[in-house]
Amino acid sequence: MARPDGPPLLLVGTDYRLAPLELRERVALSPAETEELLVALLARPAIGEAFALSTCNRTEVYLAPRDERDEETAYRELLDLLFLARAPELGQPGRLFVQRNREAAHHLLSVASGLESMVLGEPEILGQVKQAAGIAEQVGSGGPVMQHLLRAAIEAGGRARRETGIASGAVSLGYATVELAKNIFRELEQCRILILGAGETAKLVARNLLERGARKLTVANRTAERLEAMRRELPTIETLPFDQRVAALAGADLIVVATGAEEPVLTRRDLSAAMDVRGSRPLLVVDLGVPRNVDPGAAKIGNLFLHTIDSLQNLIERNLKRRREEVPKVEELLGRELDRFFSWYKSLDAEPIVAELQRQAEEIRKRELAAAYARFPAETHADLDRLTRSLVKKILHHPSARLRDVEGENTAARLAIARDLFRLDSRTDPTDGNKE
Amino acid sequence: METFLSVGVVLLPLAYLVVAAAYGFLFFSVPSKASRWATPALLGTLAFHLLYLVVLAYRWHQFPAATVAQALSIIAFAIAGVYALVEWLGRERSTGFWLVGLVFFFQLFSSLLGRPVPPDLARFKDGVIAIHISLALLGYTAFAIAAGYAFLFLQLYRDLKGGRFSTFFGKLPPLEALERMMLGALVTGFAALSGAVLSGILFAQREFPAVWHHDPKIIATAAIWLLYGAALALHRFRRWQGKQTAIVALTGLGAILFSLFAVNFFFTDFHGFL
Repeated sequence: MARPDGPPLLLVGTDYRLAPLELRERVALSPAETEELLVALLARPAIGEAFALSTCNRTEVYLAPRDERDEETAYRELLDLLFLARAPELGQPGRLFVQRNREAAHHLLSVASGLESMVLGEPEILGQVKQAAGIAEQVGSGGPVMQHLLRAAIEAGGRARRETGIASGAVSLGYATVELAKNIFRELEQCRILILGAGETAKLVARNLLERGARKLTVANRTAERLEAMRRELPTIETLPFDQRVAALAGADLIVVATGAEEPVLTRRDLSAAMDVRGSRPLLVVDLGVPRNVDPGAAKIGNLFLHTIDSLQNLIERNLKRRREEVPKVEELLGRELDRFFSWYKSLDAEPIVAELQRQAEEIRKRELAAAYARFPAETHADLDRLTRSLVKKILHHPSARLRDVEGENTAARLAIARDLFRLDSRTDPTDGNKE
Repeated sequence: METFLSVGVVLLPLAYLVVAAAYGFLFFSVPSKASRWATPALLGTLAFHLLYLVVLAYRWHQFPAATVAQALSIIAFAIAGVYALVEWLGRERSTGFWLVGLVFFFQLFSSLLGRPVPPDLARFKDGVIAIHISLALLGYTAFAIAAGYAFLFLQLYRDLKGGRFSTFFGKLPPLEALERMMLGALVTGFAALSGAVLSGILFAQREFPAVWHHDPKIIATAAIWLLYGAALALHRFRRWQGKQTAIVALTGLGAILFSLFAVNFFFTDFHGFL
């Protein structure tokens, strides 16, 4: 009997759109908890394969029931083990999503590509999917279906980032600062960066700059304790007394100002004097303070690029708009990966026949070879073995490929003819062994 | 040979237009296979252009820079060649659309002028004039490239200054790199033009001692030389920044085109060739 178009899949989960943080954090799973859950799920007779993904924005579990009739049981067991056990409020309508088969597979590919993320196209989710796949592999909860599905998801996620603009452009204040700097300076590594302030915003920007290769980073802050705390967190930074900030302006290429000061901590005159010393070298000043920390009049100084939270927000909005425009391209790519996954599944129909054909051919080869050995000297036996193996492999290559080809027409008829022609009679399902 | 030249003069601008469009797909991030064959298409067009120039030289038995049309075609070829080299060295294709676009306009103007019969000038065989013409063409090519980078510099500068991020933002080399490329081209152009002016004076002093000072072409060229020289000096001594230099680079190209067209066609006296 022909296999259904796709494997039976069940997805149950919740995310930032359906559940507030207080519910999401109750069903969030640490790696150890994920392992425990997967082991517990596999112990249920209705469940053949399982995979769980848990991030700060989502917890979702993918199941491959042993049979379509087991789906309801699998669903109930999952709710009892995780979602309702930890957060009964998730039983309210609209708190959980449930998807099946192709829809569930598509969802995983969308997640890996960043289409389902709170910040469209954010890059971390692909790493989280890979990590979760690693846990499933370690526990042994991913059979052939889940393994192929995860491979398709990781491939789709990687291709989406490489081949489309879904992850292009900065969408946070820190990375927007990096993006601005990269549009002005040839090498961020060589840029001398001065940060005024040691609060959360300043730390975030410093961290983003260091992540993207900045090396020469100096921080000045009004309170020495906060500055010291920042230095402990980011040991590669240098520190500077706040009252020496103006003297340091001329030597800096990028100045980020994020203090809580009510008055500007950098005046137009300070910056103008610095630019006189700098000559034709450009200077990027990013003012993240509210109220503003840099005299707005400094924007008029030639070759000085002053940006505030508003202009950074413009950049972020522009990048997000571009990412949204890339969604159809990503969807197209996901469709192709999904088709490949389902083709693989369909090709499993041919596997028992191909295996039987190869087994039969191997039997004949061995029989004939045993008879031939008597007629040939012993030193030629290894060559005979190699030669016959190669012959059988080459003869069977094309028929095997044609049998596995699910794109062609009359797949079922082709398989029936092959059974008849080669007198094959196998019903073995290669995935069955793994499901046990 | 005539047929080849007649077809070539029509095909060349079309070919550069197609190449520029292919780079355009790349610049505007329009998914298309065209962006993949932009570089091979450029190299193919360059090879065809080279063949065209060789045939042109063979046809008239002289270096093909005796008319404005020929000179513009040589400049177009040289800009395209320099861009191909920059792309190969820097693995940087984002400026291709704009520089090949510039090449297209030079070749288009050249082709629109047709193929006038070049004067058979005995003076073309003179070594000094050969140096003069070669340096002038090199200088014009470098200034055209500088203007291309200056245009891109000003677009990015405006985006960064105003905090309004247009299509250019994020698709070009950084501002510092654009400025450096522009300055490099300006210095090359200025050095070559200085050599062209010097060799031209030597030649004119020998051939036209009484009249050369009053020739409009020479006056225009001297003004252009002064403009670029002043811009570079001001930049060198830190009074000018990239923006001002970029504006001069664009103005300078305008002056060169004016000199090539208006002065050459309407005003010049003995400088009747290029």
